[in-house]
Amino acid sequence: MMTFCFTGIRSLPKLWKSNPYLSVGPGHSYFSLFLKDCCGIRNQQKWFSLKAVSPQNTKAVNLLIAKARYLRKGDEGSNKQVSSDSHLFAAGAAKKRSQMNTHREDHALPPVRNTIQLPTRPLNSEEWDKFKEDFKGKANFESWIISQMADCHSSIDVAKSLLAWVAAKNNGIVGYDLLVKYLYLCVFHKHISEVIDVYEIMKARYKRLEPGGYTLLIQGLIHSDRWKEALLLLEDIKKVMIPSKKNYNDCIEGALLHQDVNLAWNLYQELLGHNLIPMLKTLKTFFDFGKNIKDDQYSNKLLDILLYLRNNHLYPGESFAHSIKTWFESVPGEQWKGQFTTIQESGQCSGCGKTIESIHLSPEEYEFLKEKIMRDVIDGGDQYKKTTPQELERFQNFVKCCPPFDIVIDGLNVAKTFPKARESQVLLHVVSQLAKQNLQLLVLGRKHMLTQHSRWRKDEMKKVQKQASCFFADNISADDPFLLYATLHSGNHCKFITKDLMRDHKACLHDAKTQRLFFKWQQGHQLAIINRLPGSKITFQRIPSYDTVVQTTGDSWHIPYDEDLLERYSYEVPTKWLCLHRKT
Amino acid sequence: MPVFLKMSGSIILRSFGRFLVPFTIHRKKGVLCSTILQRSMSSKIPTVSYPKKESTSPPEQLGLDGWKITMKSSMQEEDASAVSSSKDEDPLVAIRELIEMWRLFGKEVPEQISEEELKSAMGCVSKSSKKKYLKYLYIKEKIKKAKQIKKEMKAALKEKAKKDQLLETTKEDKQQNFLFLRLWDRNMDIAMGWKGIQAMRFGQPLVFDMDYENYMKPKELQSTVSQLLESEGWNRRNVDPFHIYFCNLKVEGAYHKELVKRYGEKWDKLLLTATEKSHVDLFPKDSIIYLTADSPNVMTTFKHDKIYIVGSFVDKAMQTGTSLAKAKRLNLATECLPLDRYLQWDTGTKNLTLDQMMRILLCLKNTGSWEEALKFVPRRKHTGFMEISRHSQELVNRLKKSKPFNSFPKGSLNIHTQKRWLE
Repeated sequence: MMTFCFTGIRSLPKLWKSNPYLSVGPGHSYFSLFLKDCCGIRNQQKWFSLKAVSPQNTKAVNLLIAKARYLRKGDEGSNKQVSSDSHLFAAGAAKKRSQMNTHREDHALPPVRNTIQLPTRPLNSEEWDKFKEDFKGKANFESWIISQMADCHSSIDVAKSLLAWVAAKNNGIVGYDLLVKYLYLCVFHKHISEVIDVYEIMKARYKRLEPGGYTLLIQGLIHSDRWKEALLLLEDIKKVMIPSKKNYNDCIEGALLHQDVNLAWNLYQELLGHNLIPMLKTLKTFFDFGKNIKDDQYSNKLLDILLYLRNNHLYPGESFAHSIKTWFESVPGEQWKGQFTTIQESGQCSGCGKTIESIHLSPEEYEFLKEKIMRDVIDGGDQYKKTTPQELERFQNFVKCCPPFDIVIDGLNVAKTFPKARESQVLLHVVSQLAKQNLQLLVLGRKHMLTQHSRWRKDEMKKVQKQASCFFADNISADDPFLLYATLHSGNHCKFITKDLMRDHKACLHDAKTQRLFFKWQQGHQLAIINRLPGSKITFQRIPSYDTVVQTTGDSWHIPYDEDLLERYSYEVPTKWLCLHRKT
Repeated sequence: MPVFLKMSGSIILRSFGRFLVPFTIHRKKGVLCSTILQRSMSSKIPTVSYPKKESTSPPEQLGLDGWKITMKSSMQEEDASAVSSSKDEDPLVAIRELIEMWRLFGKEVPEQISEEELKSAMGCVSKSSKKKYLKYLYIKEKIKKAKQIKKEMKAALKEKAKKDQLLETTKEDKQQNFLFLRLWDRNMDIAMGWKGIQAMRFGQPLVFDMDYENYMKPKELQSTVSQLLESEGWNRRNVDPFHIYFCNLKVEGAYHKELVKRYGEKWDKLLLTATEKSHVDLFPKDSIIYLTADSPNVMTTFKHDKIYIVGSFVDKAMQTGTSLAKAKRLNLATECLPLDRYLQWDTGTKNLTLDQMMRILLCLKNTGSWEEALKFVPRRKHTGFMEISRHSQELVNRLKKSKPFNSFPKGSLNIHTQKRWLE
């Protein structure tokens, strides 16, 4: 048992440490504003803080805000260049777009927590009593103070002295919530012997714990000699609910820590069996452990993990990518060589020159997706929701008798690209530019576009209809599903123009696999106008020619990964790659 | 590991939570538990006293680990009494224990949970749905308790008032002259009944389309029925009620069952038309207007010769366009309330509850004024009325100051009924 003796600390003022949170003194308030860095990197926020002593000082604050805005404007200028060479779904692109479009008022005050100073050394009961008297609040003092200690990661001796005080007041009984929070501190500070002690107490007191307690116990026990008991705890959780992926992660980590490889793989299988998506940490652990194992079976299982990443469109993090690289390079006799690289626009790996898998769907996948879009997105169980059966028939006949198109245009989306220009003019501009290239065009719109209006001029619409085939849906019908279907119907070469990210339509697809197919197809076929001024030559977002997914050719692996500092939205794909190939 | 198996026998949960509260855990354990309680209260605590309680003054010798001995020592205690507990794991028991531990941890779970609720908690597929359901039960329990306390307080006050009155009346037993007996409630009911019958014969129809059973979960259905009940109540109290139709109401369907359950015997005496038929069978198609927030057409005036249809549908799953699709299928005219024209919309969906719709329509029918009618839109959803003209602005200001309830036309029966409602 570990007990720390604090000797020589006598002077009281020193015992109270100031809280790590921003403490606000009287008469001062911290006014901080931060600027998001232009690259959208969260960790590089620049903090400007100044002390606003009095309201008169707001002028200075405003000045600073203005300055910050000015700086941001400067950033935007550089953004234009950045955005043109990355595609619509590249990691970080959404962040950039949001920064270009809005001037967010980021200068809100950071939340100032009303906290008290926590003791830094164990207190005796009189001191705790006094402490409690000073406390003014609605909550239960004991549970409140231990929560604060857990938040600030106080040393366990302080927490222990609190528990001793509570126990002394309460006939030797400490409440469960206090115990769990104490356990949290023990686990956080990796005090294994304390964890075991608490474990014994919990075993003695309670027949069953709640998942939080189990999770902490498992997390603590796996580092001890009694790690096998963590598995019993896992069994206990299973009796009432499916354990979390963190529970599995901890157990697998424990098993690997104690060289029980089979157990680890069994737990991994079980985890997959529950339809849980494993933490990337878990997978990384397998790779890290693999460095010391020279075993074909183990290697094959690791390759299976890579295929799992491929099938589920998961991307490893930066450190995981490093682990994968290290493991490959440690495989004896195979002489793998890994490097971190990017893929050129042509779809060739800058590292080894190999071509990355194409973004295009296979014919079977294509047919499958087409059918699903028709069934789930357009029809959706009730044809009246997005269209009417009459309209659907009209549309299908229209698509059937027209030649396959090269480009399908979302008329309304394109027309509204430039808010200041007239809608019909913009549409005509885009259509005529594309028509010059001898492309078969289809413009989808709604019927109201045909009625004379100050923003929809009849003569311009006539010109549009001359240069392109048009289909006008009812004003209350949804036009996007028609766009998707017309594009899919025309074949693999056909592209569509819209800025819409189509997330709502993707959500109409029921299973994750179809959604991924849709996303892949969308990446390969969506053209988005990136011009910021009307009237200029139309340029589109670059379409990636390759698919961003974990892939292999047997003697090479290409693995996209997420950089640690870059924030990627769920519908974006990473831009960095790990290229692995065998030396020949 | 052998140690571990021992504990799985029996620790009775509640005993540690609240020592002195006598409780009944399900089945046989109740008796067992109380014996343990007594034993641990009487014998154990005096013997195992806190070891270094007295010697805590110098901080270096704080007895930091002493409490563990007490905590652990309960183990032997339970081993002795752990005979009767069953080894086989009943999932219901397990989940009850889990809930109890959650409660000890400070999570929002109910203190008491019935067998039935326990089963539905177990039926929840995911952990989050379980937690959600338990939180719902927790809040329900809390409200129930608060109500109980309030009731008791009221009863006590009443008792006191009665006593005081009794003292007063004994002092001066004065005879007073009254014109009416105190039978207001009954009189009002009868009057409303008369009006209801008149509405049944000559009133403007208002249809509630009940064809949404399949789109709703039980909870949503329940709130729909609550809203229907309230709408019916508002209608009944009005000067000139609608003739309410419940169309597409399938007998023995979920709606019907719930309505009958809530209305009880009153269901057969309600002055409205409930029918399995569709509204298109009852009324000419061209006089029907389906009200839906998704409609592209904005309602400008209330037409007294049209039949308005309100879909009785509480949609928490964001199934937009369901009612519009229904109207499209039957080729009916649709309209939506001119919320954007009259209100500066702030937050929330434009779908209003059924009782709000009912009050708005009633108000439109009686006064024809949108400003008046749209007061029933929840205040949190908009920041104020649009400035249309000075006159209407003044009206709006006046409305804002006065409470919505009091602004009913005076002299009508309404004012009495309103009062009753408020009491």
